[in-house]
Amino acid sequence: MTTSPQDGRTGGCQCGAVRFRVEGEMGRASICHCRMCQKAFGSFFGPYVSMKPEQVTWTRGERKLFASSNLVNRGFCGECGTQLTFEGSGFFDLTIGAFDDPTDIRPTIQIGLEGKLPWVDDLPSLRTQSPEVQAKTAEYQAKVVSHQHPDHDT
Amino acid sequence: MSVTGGCQCGAIRFRADALGEASICHCRMCQKATGGLFGPYAGVDGLVWTRGERKRFQSSNKVWRGFCEACGTPLTWEHVAGLTGVAVGALDDPAAVTFAEQLGSESRLPCVDALAGLPTHAPTEPRAAAHLASIVSLQHPDHDT
Repeated sequence: MTTSPQDGRTGGCQCGAVRFRVEGEMGRASICHCRMCQKAFGSFFGPYVSMKPEQVTWTRGERKLFASSNLVNRGFCGECGTQLTFEGSGFFDLTIGAFDDPTDIRPTIQIGLEGKLPWVDDLPSLRTQSPEVQAKTAEYQAKVVSHQHPDHDT
Repeated sequence: MSVTGGCQCGAIRFRADALGEASICHCRMCQKATGGLFGPYAGVDGLVWTRGERKRFQSSNKVWRGFCEACGTPLTWEHVAGLTGVAVGALDDPAAVTFAEQLGSESRLPCVDALAGLPTHAPTEPRAAAHLASIVSLQHPDHDT
């Protein structure tokens, strides 16, 4: 696992066709609630961490770009769809979930509140599975054969 | 009441008769499939594709994940046994969805609980307002065209 800034942090898409490495300290992490980020992720907000584009090396494959506006290109994997970048003149962000180890990338600001969905703040308190259901889920998980690229370079 | 949705660029559009139970899933597969912090899916009845064809990636022996090849938007979670969920953010009106539970707690990211309390800056601040005014969206509108 390469998580320290000295070694570079790695990540990529779900299928592994596109992989990246980031050198050096990364900038601000954020979530953006705007409708553009919602639709790009099929989700409720876009979680990004900013950096300089020259910090990023694409170590496998090429991201595809979609110009979601006159100002922004969004990079993704054309083979599996994982959102990867938010980029334009003077800014470059990678998606937090695409990192091999996103656990310590903590957003410090939320933006795009005009698009914020009404129940987003309540999500952490949603009920979780009961112990009985969790046991069944574990049984099921044992039969799952993941085709996801592992969380390290290969 | 039927619901509609689609990808960011509009190449793929769908309609469904009704939405079923919705959940967010913190598992590592859902994180990496979207590039997000969790996967948000709602069960769906009577799903029809009204424009374009989704591409699919088989993320495990059990599940295919549909997305738009032209813009990447995650669209579906499709179990081999027949159960299908749609990505809630891909719906034209995601605010109408009610969530029942959260799954995959073993991979839940530590930052998720703190998101609600993060500071922000108002869209009416001069710098933010000027930036927002300069954006020309190329995103498909939130209705069928």
